[in-house]
Amino acid sequence: MLVSSSTASGSRSRIKLGMWLLLAPLCLWLLLLIILPHIELLSFSLSDPDEGGLTLSFYGEFFNEPLYWRTFLRTAIMSILATALTLVIAFPVAFFIAKMIKGRSKGILFAMCLIPFWVSELVRTFGWMILLRESGVISSGLQWLGLADSGVELLYTDATIMLGLVYSAMLFMVVPLVSTLDSLDDSYIEAGYDLGGNNWNIMREIIIPHATPGIVSGCIIVFMLSLGNYLTPVLLGGKDSLWFTEQIYTQFITRFNWEQGSAFGILLLLLSSLIVWLGLKVTGQSFTKTMG
Amino acid sequence: MQTDAIDLACENICKHFSEFTAVDNVSFTIPQGSFFSILGPSGCGKTTLLRMLAGFESPTSGDILIKNKSVLDVPPNKRPINMVFQHLALFPTMNIEQNIGYGLRRQGVAKAEIAERVAAVLKRVGLPDSGKKRVDQLSGGQRQRIALARCLVLNPTLLLLDEPLGALDLKLREQMKIELKQLQKEFGTTFVYITHDQSEALVMSDQIAVMNQGKFEQVGTPHELYYQPKTAFVASFVGDTNRWSGVVKSSVNQEDHQTQYQVTTNDGLTLDCVSQSSDIPVSSNVDVFVRPEAITVSLSAMDNCLENQLECQVENILFDGAKSQIIAIDKQSGGCITAAMPQTADFMGLKAGDAVYLSFSAKQALSFSEKQGEMNASL
Ligand SMILES: Nc1ncnc2c1ncn2[C@@H]1O[C@H](COP(=O)(O)OP(=O)(O)OP(=O)(O)O)[C@@H](O)[C@H]1O
Ligand SMILES: [Mg+2]
Repeated sequence: MLVSSSTASGSRSRIKLGMWLLLAPLCLWLLLLIILPHIELLSFSLSDPDEGGLTLSFYGEFFNEPLYWRTFLRTAIMSILATALTLVIAFPVAFFIAKMIKGRSKGILFAMCLIPFWVSELVRTFGWMILLRESGVISSGLQWLGLADSGVELLYTDATIMLGLVYSAMLFMVVPLVSTLDSLDDSYIEAGYDLGGNNWNIMREIIIPHATPGIVSGCIIVFMLSLGNYLTPVLLGGKDSLWFTEQIYTQFITRFNWEQGSAFGILLLLLSSLIVWLGLKVTGQSFTKTMG
Repeated sequence: MQTDAIDLACENICKHFSEFTAVDNVSFTIPQGSFFSILGPSGCGKTTLLRMLAGFESPTSGDILIKNKSVLDVPPNKRPINMVFQHLALFPTMNIEQNIGYGLRRQGVAKAEIAERVAAVLKRVGLPDSGKKRVDQLSGGQRQRIALARCLVLNPTLLLLDEPLGALDLKLREQMKIELKQLQKEFGTTFVYITHDQSEALVMSDQIAVMNQGKFEQVGTPHELYYQPKTAFVASFVGDTNRWSGVVKSSVNQEDHQTQYQVTTNDGLTLDCVSQSSDIPVSSNVDVFVRPEAITVSLSAMDNCLENQLECQVENILFDGAKSQIIAIDKQSGGCITAAMPQTADFMGLKAGDAVYLSFSAKQALSFSEKQGEMNASL
């Protein structure tokens, strides 16, 4: 009895050790790249450079200076809009890939969604610029067709930023959606029709509830990516894109105000988490259920 | 037994998948309130046929009539037919009540009435308290009943069931067989039941269609299929049977319109047997089928009136309680014969190596022209 229990606890502790070893890279990654920098950021943002000691003045600056919080608000609203747009575009695509086609063409289509991401984000964004600038492909095309008299500037508008955001986030919505829709057995949809359902309420009562975890995780990823995106808003939106990450960049690089930049970084983290949390609350989802 | 109203009629239904013929010229009618089974081996086209009835596939040719009206142009959600899917397809995102109420909500039934009807049907299937449960909180047999209730609450003209017991374990399957039949009687709904398990079909059905390679081989009551199989396939597929291939030596017309044949089997036995068809020519090839329970076992040679008697040695005894079987080797040909073990005291001590005499009458040895079998196999 004694022997068996001691070996049992021995093997259990061995299992524990193995688990820790397996988790070590993840823990290291979290510690080195996420937790440590953020602790550093936090301490920076709270320290007073002139007199030493602690201060909340850098956080106060965010709320007192309308430019800052308005920029954040604008960034958040645009990101939410981009997320919604991405979902609306990606859902039919994902549904088509997962449910409407069978066999080889399914894999090919899925790969086609992936191919744009083979190219670096910078190059892709420049691609958009080549298409959209005043002397770009679309502008000259319009002129050639006689639809425009002079060059049309399609860059540096909110719509262009939105386009870029949706484009660069599409894959991160399609992949979770395809995988959840794939796991929905066709017989559920057929059972829905068999019991008298039409396209609309089968979508609403059977397909969307099933795809909810995919929708939620896709939305969280796309929202966070859009909010934290720097390249796309700056390149496609130009100087006046007013993206919050740009403010952080300015504080760190242009103004050398690391304390203010750190405060913004921490605020970005907190406020975006708050928005995600609110979103989950409003839609009645839980984070663990989505990820599990 | 039933009224004469015909619920479902299929006329010359064919279904081709490019080159492949999955359902080949099938016609049948199902009277109202009956339990109709389609029995056949895997891949013979049962599911394809059922999906055509439900409206998920359209037949290449032929017509489907429900209550004498063609439903070919009616989409699945408008047909008065419901289906219990092979894996039930209970919606996991809804609880039991919502599952059962789904069809009623589609019909625009008032909320209060939905609650009432759902509660009533739950009671009828014997699960009155499980309305609020999730699907994964129910056992296999309970889910089975919920799937049935979800269809029956809509009062369909026709209920299709695609091997619904396939996923259950043996014990539960036996129990559900009886329950299904009882529910069908209570509700009075016409059932079309698909299975590859002959015992399911025999126990529950009023009528069985035996299907092979896209065709109906025979449609009849369980009794007819078992005792008067029309084809070699039916004889071998429904129930256990001993089989000999042989050549017809002579034929005699009996006074009761049956023809009695004398057949020499390929392993050298001479058997007297009968056939449904009277035109098997002498020296043509036939298959002879004898059911194990049609064989009389005795410990000493009987000078009785049974036409066939074989002297055998017990090779093995497959003990299965009341369904025990004797595997015996025929002394003359060395062939294997299965016979049902008599449950009398004389045979309690029977063991391998003992000599037994197996006898059966010509009437219980059914022969089928081999050509027929070949024809079925080649199609
Ligand atoms: N969509 C399809 N395309 C091509 N062939 C098909 C298709 N659906 C079914 N078949 C073929 O039709 C035949 C009959 O299939 P079906 O599913 O009706 O068999 P079944 O009798 O239900 O078998 P089981 O008992 O194994 O379920 C099979 O040989 C199958 O390969
Ligand atoms: Mg099948």
